Amino acid sequence: MSAPVAVLGAGNWGTGVAQLAALAGNDVRLWSRSAAQCEELNTAHTNKKYTGDAALSDRIVATTDLRAAVLGASPILMIVPSKAFREVARALGDFATPDLVLLHGTKGLERETHKRMSELLAEETCIRQLGVVSGPNIATEILAGKPAGTVVASHFPRVVEEGRRALAGPGLRLFTSDDVRGVEYAGAFKNVVAIAAGMADALAVGENAKAMLVTRGIAEMARLAAFLGASPHVFFGMAGLGDLITTCASPFSRNHRLGAALVKGLSLDEAVKSLGMVAEGVNTARAAHELVHGHHVDLPLFERVYRVVHHGLAPDAALRELMRLPVGIDIDRALFRPGAP
Amino acid sequence: MTPPSRPAVPPAFSLLDAGREWDFSLRVINERVVASEVVGRVVERARAGAAKPRGRPLEELVNETLYQEQGRLRRAHGERADADRAFYARVRHELPRAGGSGQVRLLTEIVLHYAREIAGHFDARVYKVATSLLPFGLNALVTSLSPRRVLKERTLWSDLDQHLVIEGEVEALHRLKARGTVVLVPTHSSNLDSVLMGYAVYRMKLPPVTYGAGLNLFDNPLIGYFMRHLGAYTVDRLKTDPLYRETLKEYATLTIELGQDNLFFPGGTRSRSGGLETHLKKGLLGTGLAAYRNNLVHKKAEPRVYYVPITLSYPLVLEAATLVEDYLAESGKHRYIIVDDEFSRVQRIVQFLRGLMEVDLRIHLRVGRALDPFGNDVDDEGRSLDPRGRAIEPSRYLLHDGEYDDDPVRDAEYTRSLAERITGAFRRENTVLPTHAVAYAVLDLARRKHPGFDLYRLLRTLGPETGLPQREVEERLERLLGELKALADKGAVRLEKTLAAGDVGGTLRQALRSFGTYHQTPVLERRGVRLHLTDPKLVFYYRNRLEGYGLLGGPDLLAAGSPS
Repeated sequence: MSAPVAVLGAGNWGTGVAQLAALAGNDVRLWSRSAAQCEELNTAHTNKKYTGDAALSDRIVATTDLRAAVLGASPILMIVPSKAFREVARALGDFATPDLVLLHGTKGLERETHKRMSELLAEETCIRQLGVVSGPNIATEILAGKPAGTVVASHFPRVVEEGRRALAGPGLRLFTSDDVRGVEYAGAFKNVVAIAAGMADALAVGENAKAMLVTRGIAEMARLAAFLGASPHVFFGMAGLGDLITTCASPFSRNHRLGAALVKGLSLDEAVKSLGMVAEGVNTARAAHELVHGHHVDLPLFERVYRVVHHGLAPDAALRELMRLPVGIDIDRALFRPGAP
Repeated sequence: MTPPSRPAVPPAFSLLDAGREWDFSLRVINERVVASEVVGRVVERARAGAAKPRGRPLEELVNETLYQEQGRLRRAHGERADADRAFYARVRHELPRAGGSGQVRLLTEIVLHYAREIAGHFDARVYKVATSLLPFGLNALVTSLSPRRVLKERTLWSDLDQHLVIEGEVEALHRLKARGTVVLVPTHSSNLDSVLMGYAVYRMKLPPVTYGAGLNLFDNPLIGYFMRHLGAYTVDRLKTDPLYRETLKEYATLTIELGQDNLFFPGGTRSRSGGLETHLKKGLLGTGLAAYRNNLVHKKAEPRVYYVPITLSYPLVLEAATLVEDYLAESGKHRYIIVDDEFSRVQRIVQFLRGLMEVDLRIHLRVGRALDPFGNDVDDEGRSLDPRGRAIEPSRYLLHDGEYDDDPVRDAEYTRSLAERITGAFRRENTVLPTHAVAYAVLDLARRKHPGFDLYRLLRTLGPETGLPQREVEERLERLLGELKALADKGAVRLEKTLAAGDVGGTLRQALRSFGTYHQTPVLERRGVRLHLTDPKLVFYYRNRLEGYGLLGGPDLLAAGSPS
């Protein structure tokens, strides 16, 4: 009899993860702040606000009691927006014990510090056996029972193993990695490119132009990650290219939808409101801008997205600017040299 | 889930089970018994490894040792090397005809051969004599080994005492000792570090510590004598084969399990650049964690292991000239092991210690806050704390399905965290001395006068003829002291008292006096109203102690990934 799985956060992806864990044969404790939401999850087995009519497993038991959700569970899957991540981590730290195993699935950076989620966990809890799950995983498709792949990364083999036990099943192929930092950066940065893709789609610039944008986007992601000391290789995996393909193509992607909404002339606040959910790319675009500020890291696409989102640059003007930039070599080999950056 | 490995132990050996009842006051560890336990464990682990599906066959393991040792011995001379050659010739002869049990026997012989070399000659009775001799011995050095002068200048003895300032968490160290085993992890600038640490441990009224010291140091007749008898075991960095490393780590692990406090220089070798260590050697560092786990498995009464970072700050470093030369020559390349340097010339040690006393310089030894084997802070009661200061139970880091399981990848990751915390402590507990601050300000100014020069070009350009206006140096220095003060107020660094007082003139005077006393030529010299960089490489060496704090907005000059 294996331990139940704890899922912290009952948003769109948190609910998807809980369902995956249940389908993989686990009892699942799903933590949410909202008593009403827990009530709905436990009685109707739905989560209308986030996942519509999708029918959820009755092996999912929702609770508002964080401690009760976590104690005795393994692994803990933490799917909380980056904005609330530190607060929940700190609450978790009050009773966490060093034997806990935790994976997070949050694709963003902390707004004030630009820190990765695993860094926040290391600052707020005693938990060391940490990992991250990231990949092209649109919750709506997963809840509809469509197959998907994802990567679970940790420095600890046991964490990867627990992640596999919790999530791998007929619906999800699970790849492994030991590059936590790279997977976290890939998951966060792709949201910025997704906003650009959403803008390109809404402006109907054509598939050729969009492909160019996305390709240059992934080059910028890798360059930025290398600047931050991560390996660029991870960008060819599930968390990089994999996630980017989905998120740049799918109208389900929040960041993609946000880009499109901005083209329609909505302000950032209106665009965010129209989603009804958090679009991590908004914050990540700012984080990327601030991270490279004062350094020589060439991020033309990221910079344009930042200015569109935060400084009211018109999306079509941004695309025109990008088209006029001097062109250089396609792939910078220096990035892949051993020891780079 | 592998059951905790408990290798076959000779029946005479019962120290582990005896735990704390073993009479530690004597602290005489039977060398042969320890060695046989070490050999038992290493051989057992190799056999278990070979038995695994894709494990390494014993024959291959023995062959690798033969191959690596052959390479080492090709360049080695002396009695020890001759004995090694004869030993391996026999192993090589017997290996092809050895069956399974023969291979185990040969493996055991190799490991035993190593264990005998490593095991120290620690003996509490000799220790007592040696510690009382130590100040005398250093005195003898200072007075050029003339017994008549030693007798005449008895006061030098107490002088030496004043030249080593011991600060920091000394009391906490005493408390922790009562709750577990302590591993001291100091910064490493000089071969004198071992001697000073041995003396400092004695002065702090702590029982002796066991430590690893380079095999070549034992060849120095005088220093070698003290090392042996102050509890040193030998580490030969020229031996690179896995069996040697395993044996060495197991020896250290066992001494910690036996409650013997240890000392490692976690940087592995003396800092070539003069900078604080930023990368630590994880192999030996992890032995405290291995010992802790073994203690938990064996249900020891006081299983805990505490790592105590220590910073040793020298106003002048005995081997500075050789070390920085090596850094500049080898930066980014394979580093070699310096065999002959200032330390092997007694006359230089004499000059160094004399210089120290004449100019009234003080070496600062700072005891930092203890860490557990996972890198968590430890409070005064010996409890581990989480990052927010909440008490936690560290043994649970090793718990998997109710057992303290053996997971080398996990443990290496824990040790990596520990290493990061130790290097952080080095930065915070680093005591900045006038020579460091003045060298930093001077090189910063010189660098600004040659914008765009890389380090090598800059050092080539500077020389005795390079004079910097003293006023400008003082301005730089004043700004630097301000920045250092701000860091010190946040607890990010420690300052010697002249620096803490913000005394620019005093700092400069003290540094110039120090720089003029020991090195072949003064490092920095005042000529009229200008300061001349008589030895720019040494200016670079001493300024490196302040690398990595982002002071004066200057860039880091030590390339990432090159030797620290």
